[in-house]
Amino acid sequence: MGLGNYFKDIKAGLTSAFEGMSISLASLFVRPVTVQYPDVDVKSDEAMRENYNGPLRGMPDNYRGLLDVDLEICISCKLCEKACPIDCILIEDVKIDKKQIVGRNGKSTMKMKSPIQFDIDNSKCMFCGLCVDPCPTGAIVHTNEFEFNRSDRSQLISRFVKADDRAQLKVRGAEIAIEDAKAKAEKAAKKKAEAEAKAKEEEEASKDQSEAKGTKE
Amino acid sequence: MDILIQTIGDIINADLGSPLAAFIALLLVSLAILGFMSLTAGGLSFIERRVAGRMQSRIGPNRVGPQGILQFMADGLKCAQKEDLIPDGADRLLFKLAPVLCFIGVFGTFAVLPWGNGFFASELNVGLLYLMSVTSLVVIGMLMAGWSSNNKWSLLGGMRSAAQMVSYEIPVALSLLPVILLCGSLSFKELIGAQGAMPWDWNILNSPFTFISFFIFFLAALAEGNRTPFDIPEGESELVAGYCTEYSGLRFVFFFFAEWANLYVIGAVAAAVFLGGGHLPFGLESDIVSLLVFFAKSFFMVFIIIWLRWTLPRFRVDQMMTLCWKTLIPLSFVMLFGQAITLLIYHELTFLQSIVSLVLFAICVLVGVKFVSRVLVNIKEQKYKMMHTLTGS
Ligand code: SF4
Ligand code: SF4
Repeated sequence: MGLGNYFKDIKAGLTSAFEGMSISLASLFVRPVTVQYPDVDVKSDEAMRENYNGPLRGMPDNYRGLLDVDLEICISCKLCEKACPIDCILIEDVKIDKKQIVGRNGKSTMKMKSPIQFDIDNSKCMFCGLCVDPCPTGAIVHTNEFEFNRSDRSQLISRFVKADDRAQLKVRGAEIAIEDAKAKAEKAAKKKAEAEAKAKEEEEASKDQSEAKGTKE
Repeated sequence: MDILIQTIGDIINADLGSPLAAFIALLLVSLAILGFMSLTAGGLSFIERRVAGRMQSRIGPNRVGPQGILQFMADGLKCAQKEDLIPDGADRLLFKLAPVLCFIGVFGTFAVLPWGNGFFASELNVGLLYLMSVTSLVVIGMLMAGWSSNNKWSLLGGMRSAAQMVSYEIPVALSLLPVILLCGSLSFKELIGAQGAMPWDWNILNSPFTFISFFIFFLAALAEGNRTPFDIPEGESELVAGYCTEYSGLRFVFFFFAEWANLYVIGAVAAAVFLGGGHLPFGLESDIVSLLVFFAKSFFMVFIIIWLRWTLPRFRVDQMMTLCWKTLIPLSFVMLFGQAITLLIYHELTFLQSIVSLVLFAICVLVGVKFVSRVLVNIKEQKYKMMHTLTGS
């Protein structure tokens, strides 16, 4: 404390105000970063270069916009559904004919099931990206799309499976289920027959044994 | 005789002796001032937002009219359409009166404010005193608004504004005293008349004491006008909107009208009292030119105020009071005393004044050059940062 500090404080205040004022005045002579959004098409680099002279270009690759699902490579493992903290993904699936698919990460996997319903409720989604991380095939990804105001709340739900596909998949799924059931039944029957045969064999064997025992006695 | 009133009296060709004609003339003058004040306040609100935008690397309002210049009209219209709410439990009379008082407090100052060298709405010989007294109406208005709203934020804001403005009126008045000593008058006409055209003839550079007085005046006037860094009565982050939290529609506009017009008042007083009014050197002076020069000076001061607002953070309440009572007031007493002694010395050694003024002027130029160089460095730095950090290249 004391007079020295008093003047020191005044000096510090004046010099920092001096520097601060020079910084804010300088920014008057630097172009604003603002993109005049609806006027300038922010999604294309070309349009940005033409109509906007700030430093930004296009949308960044890691932008977390609306979610998109590639149903071709989705194996319906439901990991994304489980990962979502606010339960805005809804998946229902059926079995399909097995096929080999190649995920976005280059790994190939056997696809055995396919969703017949894959809905994401964008009115709930907070674009956290937690569903994207666990996906084993990279089927679910964020797009650059950020314009999604709709006239009706129900339109905010993205339904990825089309009605036709669903019907087809359902029919095929039912067939597969029947086939499977049949196969299962056959298998079960076979098993049963085998089991019976085995039981018989065993019975005979035990009979033999007991006979052998009897002879021994 | 009152110059503007006279002019208008001439225009309507009436004899100002008759009470009716005088009334009409007065009405016209006040309407003219009202028009000027609303345009200034509106224009300033636009300028402030644009400048603020650019200082934050945004654009600011640019949609209504060319470059958004009509934005203030749109805002005014919008507010005029809003419902005029008076909260339950509010003191209705005081609630309605408060914005009007605030407005009158600022509007009244325009009666004596100079508009150049020869233009005054009325030439009052105690102009400065009148100006300081009439602005204290604003305090009452704010306190009233805070009290009558029946809302804790409003009350806190009103109390803060009362404490702040009452305290800061003291340094404002004290810091004007050295100049009054120097010119020996309270009238704006004579205050301007006592200064010359060149910067070293201005009151601000008369002696180191007037120089520092100018800064004290400027800071204290900022605080009195509730501007950041001293805007604690309406600190948005603490008090919602302070004393005007409960106001809506046109009543709200009145408060902001008063606030922005007050900006111009601060600028004009600083220009008239310290910065040489509307004088121009080399015989270029004429009535119209002095008007323009005066406006230029006032608006430059206004620009500085805006610029300060978007640079400095808000003071804490106790820091504010400390600044006022422990720094500005003692300092302004020292300045008053120092100026009195300086005047005695100047009286004996007349050549000393021009030397001191020139030295002060040289210091100002040096600081200015240093400032400009800092600004240039910062421009370069910001451009570099913008190109290299935002785009990631
Ligand atoms: S982004 Fe987040 S909130 Fe949206 S669906 Fe994926 S996990 Fe759920
Ligand atoms: S995590 Fe990927 S593969 Fe699994 S259900 Fe979701 S989108 Fe399909």
